[in-house]
Amino acid sequence: MSEADLSVPFRQRAGGAMKDAHLQEALTIATTKFIGLRREAFADFPEGERLRDLAREIKEATLQSLDRYLEQLIDNVERLGGHVHYATTAEEARRVILDVARRTGARMAVKSKSMATEEIQLNEALEAAGITAVETDLGEYIIQLAHERPSHIIAPAIHKTKGQVAELFAKELKREVAADPEVLTRLARGELRDKFLRADLGITGANFAVADTGSIVLVTNEGNGRMVTSLPRVHVAVMGIEKVVPSMTDLMVFLQILAKSATGQKLSVYTTLVRGPRRAGELEGPDEFHLVLLDNGRIRQLAGTLREALYCLRCGACLNVCPVYRQIGGHAYGYTYPGPIGILLTAMLDGATAVTDLAHASSLCGACADVCPVRIDIPKMLVELRRELDDKKLAPWTERLAYGMLARVLASPRLYRWAKPVARLLQRPFARNGTIRSAPLFGDWTRTRDLPAVAPVTFQERWKDLEREGS
Amino acid sequence: MTQALRASLMVTCLGDMFFPEVGVSTVRLLRRLGVSVDFPAGQTCCGQPLFNSGYHAGAARVGARMVELFKDAEHVVVPSGSCAFMLKHELPGLLRDRAAREAAERLAGRTYELSQFLVKVLRRTEFTASVAGRVTYHDSCHLLRGLHESAAPRAILRGLRGAELVELPAADECCGFGGSFSVRLPEVSSQILDKKLKNVESTGAACVVACDAGCLMQLGGGLRRRGSSVRAVHLAELLDGERPSP
Amino acid sequence: MTSRAEFLSRIRGEMAKTRGLFPARTAPRPAEPRAVAETLRRELAERWPAALERFRREFERVGGVFHRVGALGDVPQVVAGISRERDVRRLVAWDAQALGGDLLSALEARGLDPVAMPPGEVPGAERARLRQVVAQADLGLTGVDLAIAETGTLVVRSGAGRPGSTSLLPPVHIAVFDRTALVESLGQAGVFLEAWHRAEAPGAGAVVSFITGPSRTADIELTLTRGVHGPKEVHAIFVETPIHD
Repeated sequence: MSEADLSVPFRQRAGGAMKDAHLQEALTIATTKFIGLRREAFADFPEGERLRDLAREIKEATLQSLDRYLEQLIDNVERLGGHVHYATTAEEARRVILDVARRTGARMAVKSKSMATEEIQLNEALEAAGITAVETDLGEYIIQLAHERPSHIIAPAIHKTKGQVAELFAKELKREVAADPEVLTRLARGELRDKFLRADLGITGANFAVADTGSIVLVTNEGNGRMVTSLPRVHVAVMGIEKVVPSMTDLMVFLQILAKSATGQKLSVYTTLVRGPRRAGELEGPDEFHLVLLDNGRIRQLAGTLREALYCLRCGACLNVCPVYRQIGGHAYGYTYPGPIGILLTAMLDGATAVTDLAHASSLCGACADVCPVRIDIPKMLVELRRELDDKKLAPWTERLAYGMLARVLASPRLYRWAKPVARLLQRPFARNGTIRSAPLFGDWTRTRDLPAVAPVTFQERWKDLEREGS
Repeated sequence: MTQALRASLMVTCLGDMFFPEVGVSTVRLLRRLGVSVDFPAGQTCCGQPLFNSGYHAGAARVGARMVELFKDAEHVVVPSGSCAFMLKHELPGLLRDRAAREAAERLAGRTYELSQFLVKVLRRTEFTASVAGRVTYHDSCHLLRGLHESAAPRAILRGLRGAELVELPAADECCGFGGSFSVRLPEVSSQILDKKLKNVESTGAACVVACDAGCLMQLGGGLRRRGSSVRAVHLAELLDGERPSP
Repeated sequence: MTSRAEFLSRIRGEMAKTRGLFPARTAPRPAEPRAVAETLRRELAERWPAALERFRREFERVGGVFHRVGALGDVPQVVAGISRERDVRRLVAWDAQALGGDLLSALEARGLDPVAMPPGEVPGAERARLRQVVAQADLGLTGVDLAIAETGTLVVRSGAGRPGSTSLLPPVHIAVFDRTALVESLGQAGVFLEAWHRAEAPGAGAVVSFITGPSRTADIELTLTRGVHGPKEVHAIFVETPIHD
């Protein structure tokens, strides 16, 4: 299964994912491993809690002066010979990048992993314009060959077995190799090395952008970030406006907790700070550097309920601990960003109507907020989204009616008291030994679980006796 | 002679209707510990089911009533982590009227989930109810992450004469209840529950203890459907002399 | 197409609607980072053995291979050993000034085929040729700007005579450093990043790379493999006698 079909209801997409045995095994192994790695990394790192507080504060402080820091970033990039573009929509971002590609005669682009470019659906636009776009992050490369979308923010091909990857390489690269990760990696290295050296255009995102220096920061483990930004003659970086950080000192705070949160590493293998195009005297580096600043719904949230979601570092820690994500994986969510933060980002980018189902894809357990390096209160915003769905009447009228009635019963002691004998009466055909195994209207529960019947004597009805007992 | 501590019980809607024995056990337990217990009449619900699903006007109305009902309480004891969390952390911010909000904040300061009340207010961790056999403990999400409480219930369970507390693997992972989540996405909820129950059964415990009615509905409902001999029990019932079969 | 003014104006418009979520400040920065860096250097000069030991531990933990020699003149022997073990000869290196000494003739004498990267501006065709040389090399020899003990990280700045590709394209990266490169933590590294920005050295390049072990991925079934795009091996040779003053 490749793309999630949004015309299929979310509940069904989730059901499909749970029937996929390979996916289930991969999800369990991967998320359990990441959870353990993160836990070990922070157990070994007593300053971690203080740094998370500081990181959150820096993100908030940055937003409070966002215009100033962005202007500083822009001025520095331009001073160093780079170009800055402003994209209000995904469409604008695609247009800007295509213009650059066409003007510079690019025929092939190599890409370092960038969720922002997935968000604006750049690859399709490049291909449509006759430009080959090659994903170079191994996981992204695999899913690109498979014509699929990533299923996890940092481990995009987690849902594929090595056997599936070998089959894929045999089919798409016409190379038969053993289903061994070492061999498969070596094959990919060779294929992609050739692309790096021949590409005209390098496209990246930006994990951070340092306002004080005009540097773009790329965090990778493979080294493709360095390749993509030093070998082709043009470099385009696409970046959400919230990625700006004020200074190198601030950057170090984030670097100390980012990799630990994502994979349990102290640092990812490569953290690359790129300031503009090639300097005089340098042997390599692009002739042109372009920074595309992306709005796509972010600006509106500066004063919106999802403001805190702008702190997100895209580490994926919340996905790994989310009981829902762990059962269904990334594709079932249906949008670029999956998992707990993904629901908020989808609402940010595509509006509340996009999350009428997804806003409820959470038990509000709070595990996500617990592990978020910048302490984003995801459950709080999920509840806010649900409120918005009610306020805007986007929730189904049957549901709104039912909750309206519930509110009336719970607000009236008389109605509440009266509801109990009514419930006991209605449940009589279905209750046996205090348990209901199946009942109309409650099928969604009773299909897999017994339901307790309303007690023959509720606590309130017992209180008088209990009170006497105590005196 | 010091005046007896006074506690007002908030039994919760699920507790009242489905698990009255939990309320009964709570009252008897507190009385045995020298606490005088009252039960403000006319209580219904803290408003959480409405709040979590986004029906905030309704939640505010329902919750505000509770604030009014409990305004004279010295301590409010709630045998449910999620309801205590609602009262302490969500309800005040929900109320627009300043007087109501301040009353809610004052109430929040006097509200305790049961195990927290036992350990932090009454300072008791050793209980006279004796229990035979293995027990294991499931951390309810709102008690664990909302009220930052994982030690009090464990301290109590460890102090139970004759009982052996076995740590539940992944005790801090959700049971899959999540209120309406359990019926909006029942397949996902059930799969989460399956994994939780596998862990429960792996401990060899005769019962799994929790401090939240929602978790107990989910855990108990799943265990019973499987025909398991393991029982889902509220902490209060265990301390009231209930004996799980070995 | 949205203009700078329109874009920023929209941002300012939204910002004006809110004071934010809570009072917040950015991380405190050194007012005079170069002075702080100087002080750090002096202090670290006293504590370098402990920092080195920590660096070695962390570097090896991420898969690096650590070596220690007495003086810069001992480096070619270690490099020759590494290349012999792998039965390879082609080596690319930073230019002598960047490395801190001319090692090329010594390397040649030991049977290697070394090429130093020229400093200064080089015409495009020659740059393309050199890139091919680097891409085909078996070993890349560089210096180090900072060695971060906390994480086992080598920080390498690009520039004239020291292209990033030397530590990126060949499958084996060998980095030579002395005690003056050692810092204890990422926080201290941040001070140097601030200081470098204040006063850019002539010939400074556009890229600062933090390298923490060999290139790796676990994208296939979470199985760790090395040498995806960057080097498969990273060696760090610590030279006891300081190379740079």
